[in-house]
Amino acid sequence: MKLGNLIISGIVTGSIYASFAACVALWYRVSNILNLAVGDFAMIGALGVDNLVRVHHWKLAPAIAVMLAAVVVFGYLYDRIVLRLAQDGRTRQEGIVVTFFFTFALSFFIEGIAELLYGTDVHAAPAVWSGQSLSLGGGLHIDRAGVLVVAFAAVVGIALALVLRGTLQGKAIEACGENFFGARIVGIDNRKYRRLLFIVSAVLACVFGILESPITGYTYNSGAAISLTGFIAAAYAGFQKPGKAVVAGLGIGILEALLGGYVSANYADTILYALLAAAVLIRPSAMGLDVVLE
Amino acid sequence: MERSWTPRAGAGGEPVGNGTSALAISNLAVTYGRVAAVHDVSFEVAEGDCVALIGPNGNGKSSIVMGIAGLVHRHGKVAIFGRPAPANDVSFMPRHGFTLVPERRQLYPQLSVADNIVLGCYSRIRSLRRARASEAHRQALELFPELSKRMAQKAGTLSGGEQQMVAIARGLAADPRILAVDEPCLGLAETVSRRVYEALRRIHEAGRTLLIVEESPTRALQLATRQIEVRNGVVVRA
Repeated sequence: MKLGNLIISGIVTGSIYASFAACVALWYRVSNILNLAVGDFAMIGALGVDNLVRVHHWKLAPAIAVMLAAVVVFGYLYDRIVLRLAQDGRTRQEGIVVTFFFTFALSFFIEGIAELLYGTDVHAAPAVWSGQSLSLGGGLHIDRAGVLVVAFAAVVGIALALVLRGTLQGKAIEACGENFFGARIVGIDNRKYRRLLFIVSAVLACVFGILESPITGYTYNSGAAISLTGFIAAAYAGFQKPGKAVVAGLGIGILEALLGGYVSANYADTILYALLAAAVLIRPSAMGLDVVLE
Repeated sequence: MERSWTPRAGAGGEPVGNGTSALAISNLAVTYGRVAAVHDVSFEVAEGDCVALIGPNGNGKSSIVMGIAGLVHRHGKVAIFGRPAPANDVSFMPRHGFTLVPERRQLYPQLSVADNIVLGCYSRIRSLRRARASEAHRQALELFPELSKRMAQKAGTLSGGEQQMVAIARGLAADPRILAVDEPCLGLAETVSRRVYEALRRIHEAGRTLLIVEESPTRALQLATRQIEVRNGVVVRA
């Protein structure tokens, strides 16, 4: 029973990691930029919805709609103003500056806005599906928010796989990641995909934040920790394959839950990251990290 | 447009320009930051022509075709079949019938050969199923039967000659009326180069306009109906 509940807990946590990892890998594929602000979009979504419902007495549905619309507008403007200057100007920025620092700075910016608007307390968006935990029989339980998180992660994972493997647009996205110049030669406007996928990944992160926050609660600086887990899971997929990133995220979540349950709740993260670091050192090629280092 | 690799009737295997302007370039300039690679280049290519753009390395030939394709910052006017082409729209030229097979192929090494070729259809078809079923895609594959066993293989694992065939097939999948090929034999063995030129000859005989960029013009001039010589970023002979 304990093992079953730990695995269920791990799947829920892993789904969260997997989703953020997919967001990171998806955008890296097309832009070669690591989105270190993806967790901040989750945080701002959760805290924004909480603020609109709890403080301004909005209904949940319009609050969610407004936050998603705000994220879309912000994502669009960020691409048009910042990324366009960095990547599309006559002096195109490349290398580690673009890879890391543009979204690192964005993460701090969103954190600052959240602290200003929502303070430093822990809050959570109201549960989209409220009620007691669901019993799966045999003493196994799962939170309703957890069910939504797992279901949404599955839908997103399947949708991404279908788009990337089964559509010409998906192959165009892959081509952008493979060869920026080669993609433009066949008429693929990689700027359009970069903008579209930045907005899509921000919206997905926002939805996950809203669905997941009833489980963990968020504060203004929760985004960095979420981004980190997504970043690590995406790293294990070489930042290139959203599908592999999803599997890596799930694996990390389950491993973390099992370590917390059977080894030490306090040191679960430490042991987990030590194991992951060891795995990278032993077999970087299996993790796809050789591609990134190259 | 349905085409086959059979020479057009009455063309005698050597189609020549029919007088219609396929490509009109006027006062083209290409710059990289403060470095000007091409200055004030003007020429026309008639439909059905095979034009060799020749000249030593580093003199602006590739910049000219990349400027025409809208892939680098350019000034001046480019018109394809009478339509002026905007400078910053990479999809315009392939959508209107001009496709570039670039120097060093520029394939997607981790994608399969099949995916590389079908992506050539991107500018005119947005459905994967329709792209695979399109006549241009079928003909692109037909021109290089040696690729049929390699379709599932990653493009990056092919030999240089096979990669060049994939690049040309990808270009043809766009169903271009004008195909520009930049240094098609760069780094290839003699027998492979002959195979590539044989394919270019068939493409031209089937009625397509060709613009071949070559440093060593011997082979290109056997196929070309006209030559344009570029030195120091300007046309010295057209």
